[in-house]
Amino acid sequence: MTDMKTSSTAGLRARATSLWQGATRHHAYDLGLLALALVVAVVFTLINPSVYASQLNVESIAFSVPEVGLMALAISIAMTVAGIDLSTVAVANLSALFIAWYSAVGEAAGQGPIVSTLIAVAGALVIGAVAGAVNGFVISRLKVAPILATLATMQIYTGLAIALTRGEAAYGVTAPLSEFGMGDLLGVPYVFWFFVLVVVVVWAIMTKTTFGLKATLTGASKVVSEFTGYSYSGVIVRAYVLTGVISALAGLVMVSRTASASAGYGSSYLMLAITIAVLGGANPFGGRVAITGAALAAVVLQLISSGLNMVDVSAYIYQIVQGAILAGVFVVTFERQRLLQRLARRRTAPPEPGAPQPAPSVVREKEPA
Amino acid sequence: MSFALRARGISKSFGGVKALTDVDLDVVPGEVLCLAGANGSGKSTLIKIISGVETPDSGTIEIDGEEIVTSSVAAAVQRGVQVIFQDMSLFPNLTVAENIAMSERVKDGVKVISGKRARSLAKSVIERLGIDLDLEARVENISVADRQLVAICRALALDVKVLFMDEPTTALTWHEIESLRQVVEQLKKEQVGIVFVSHKTEEVFAMSDRIVVLRNGVVVRTGATADFTENSLVEALVGYLPEDQRRVEISDTGEEPPALSVEGIGVESLFADVSFAVGRGEIVGLTGLLGSGRSEIAEAIFGKLPIDTGTIAVGGETKTIRSVADAITAGIGYVPEDRLTQGVVLGQSIERNLVSAALGKVSSSAGVLKERLLAETSRASVAELQIKTDNAALPVSSLSGGNQQRVVLGKWMLTDPKVLILNGPTVGVDAGSKATILEILRDAARSGMGVLLISDDVPELVSVCHRVLFVRRGRLAGELAHDEVAEPAIRERLVR
Repeated sequence: MTDMKTSSTAGLRARATSLWQGATRHHAYDLGLLALALVVAVVFTLINPSVYASQLNVESIAFSVPEVGLMALAISIAMTVAGIDLSTVAVANLSALFIAWYSAVGEAAGQGPIVSTLIAVAGALVIGAVAGAVNGFVISRLKVAPILATLATMQIYTGLAIALTRGEAAYGVTAPLSEFGMGDLLGVPYVFWFFVLVVVVVWAIMTKTTFGLKATLTGASKVVSEFTGYSYSGVIVRAYVLTGVISALAGLVMVSRTASASAGYGSSYLMLAITIAVLGGANPFGGRVAITGAALAAVVLQLISSGLNMVDVSAYIYQIVQGAILAGVFVVTFERQRLLQRLARRRTAPPEPGAPQPAPSVVREKEPA
Repeated sequence: MSFALRARGISKSFGGVKALTDVDLDVVPGEVLCLAGANGSGKSTLIKIISGVETPDSGTIEIDGEEIVTSSVAAAVQRGVQVIFQDMSLFPNLTVAENIAMSERVKDGVKVISGKRARSLAKSVIERLGIDLDLEARVENISVADRQLVAICRALALDVKVLFMDEPTTALTWHEIESLRQVVEQLKKEQVGIVFVSHKTEEVFAMSDRIVVLRNGVVVRTGATADFTENSLVEALVGYLPEDQRRVEISDTGEEPPALSVEGIGVESLFADVSFAVGRGEIVGLTGLLGSGRSEIAEAIFGKLPIDTGTIAVGGETKTIRSVADAITAGIGYVPEDRLTQGVVLGQSIERNLVSAALGKVSSSAGVLKERLLAETSRASVAELQIKTDNAALPVSSLSGGNQQRVVLGKWMLTDPKVLILNGPTVGVDAGSKATILEILRDAARSGMGVLLISDDVPELVSVCHRVLFVRRGRLAGELAHDEVAEPAIRERLVR
């Protein structure tokens, strides 16, 4: 009896150990971000526990993470396919404007709140999907570099929003959306639950489906993916449709939370979202899925922003910190790669001239075009 | 006797692994020395040490009688050691002349560049070698063979005493190799000591005066080329004697329709009127000079370069092939020419690469991956193809060249193709891996697959092919069948 007990505890322990080892091996980067979040939280709490750890502040952080977090998710996916999406904020605004506009229209037409909410949200998603499909088409079919293609569509989508609204803000959303934007469940805002849900779904799409695998391989090497029979434009258009839909969801959160939308809202979010995506572990040269990382990075940056705000540092300092993080992530990532290479070289005999150089850095992988 | 290079007792280990143990290497001015060795034998480490990239743990290096005390690339270049690596390290966006002049500019620290000076320098080098190159052409627009020549010229723009060439002929065709050989002859006359690294036994014999064979970081044999036979060289390289003579089993094509048959296919301005068939269980070789259209024919059948005229039939059924996806659906697999940029995604895992062309096998109809099945499938593939790795989750870049090629092969085997087309599957692969890959092809044919093998390597064609087809200027130009397939006959047809 005792024997069995010890052996089953030992078995459990072994299982737990192997689980832990698996987690640390596959998610070392995410765990690092989690540790970073904890360090940031602890430091600011020590500075001023009564303010930083207050329920008000924690809640405000939980309310602010989803918008920009979703945009970062969108950009992270674009980066997986070796692209970027500069139009994400514009698409979010366009969708938010539609929701605010339709909320009023639906009510005027005598629709029930549920019906008009559903139509408003569906319309926003269609806008996001179409905008994303256009991005994907311009990139894959017209062969415009992603950064230029989405710069152009960003201007177009923003211009469209300004033209349609004459630059004026739209106010008010349906009652259910208002509740969605401000209410909470178990002390956690609905929008944060929603953010977690989207992260899980997107993570599953990118890691558990053939589309996700194709997108990753295509991002790592367009040429190989073509020799493997993947339709380049098929993969790219689908990836950007996903990106557009997530941007629209960011718009949904934005308009629900503030009960207003305008063409110029959240323009400072773009750089922040890119920073989050990169800090989250996305590789701008393609081939890496970093969805959970982006979510954690969004939390980290919001923790920092809120803390700096608390100690009364100017917004410009926050911008400097953002820039430093972006540059720092690049340096650390590349240094780590070099360090790993050196270790690998030391462990095994060096490769022959015929073989490729050891563990090519992320940049090298994209070189042959 | 004077030595251009004299290395004594070179040892080097990385971590606990000994890459080189007590290696001696002498190069006499005006001789061509072949440094032969399988992948991982320590050739590249030796070259890196002599060229100053790595510091040896022990041993001495003398160049032209003077010992090099501190090892650095600059010191090595100053003394006249030049290395042409496989990628040749040229600037694709600069002209031939600018590339040739680059090393001198760097050495002398020239800040203001003069196009005229570059041209005259480049011209003098080219004339010295008696070769023909367009000085104003951009390097990205010239052939691989010409790039090789540019790299040699660049090395020679400085005073060079020992020139290392790392597999200089890998991407070259026969007559290009011939002109490279003439350049080498010229260099010999100028008393340059030449060391070249090669996998191809044939070429080792044609070009070298002396051979040094490295195996596992130790010089196992050294001697005049005349004292080696092809068999004794292979034996020294791999440690045993693999059988590589013609070993072709009679294929039983019987009444069944051929695995692949093409009728009058053509692609505008590349090739025309090509008709042939590959039976079930048959291995057909397709050979010709680079630029003859052999790769284009393969890419057309695979849908990468859709045909303008003609028909393609797989297993007796005519198929419309407008894209790679069409070809895969029809049952055609293709191991492309350039493994590193076309065959595998280096930074992604071995298992992902293996299943990448057969995702339908490891996913539900809704497109959700079945992870356990994926892992099992790739594990089976790793075992079947004898890919040397202890973890299929590691990136393909962790494998040696021969093992990477097996991944490409495995990727296509998993699609269960009726026809497998391979373009130079053993280029840059060591002798051991080559034997394995050819054995895999024999097995595939035995199981009823039709195999179309595009290759330059005559012994390889002889060793596995039932028939060999020749391509010249975009058209089929003859065929050797069964007993006619032999090295002299193929060679004669190729140069004719």
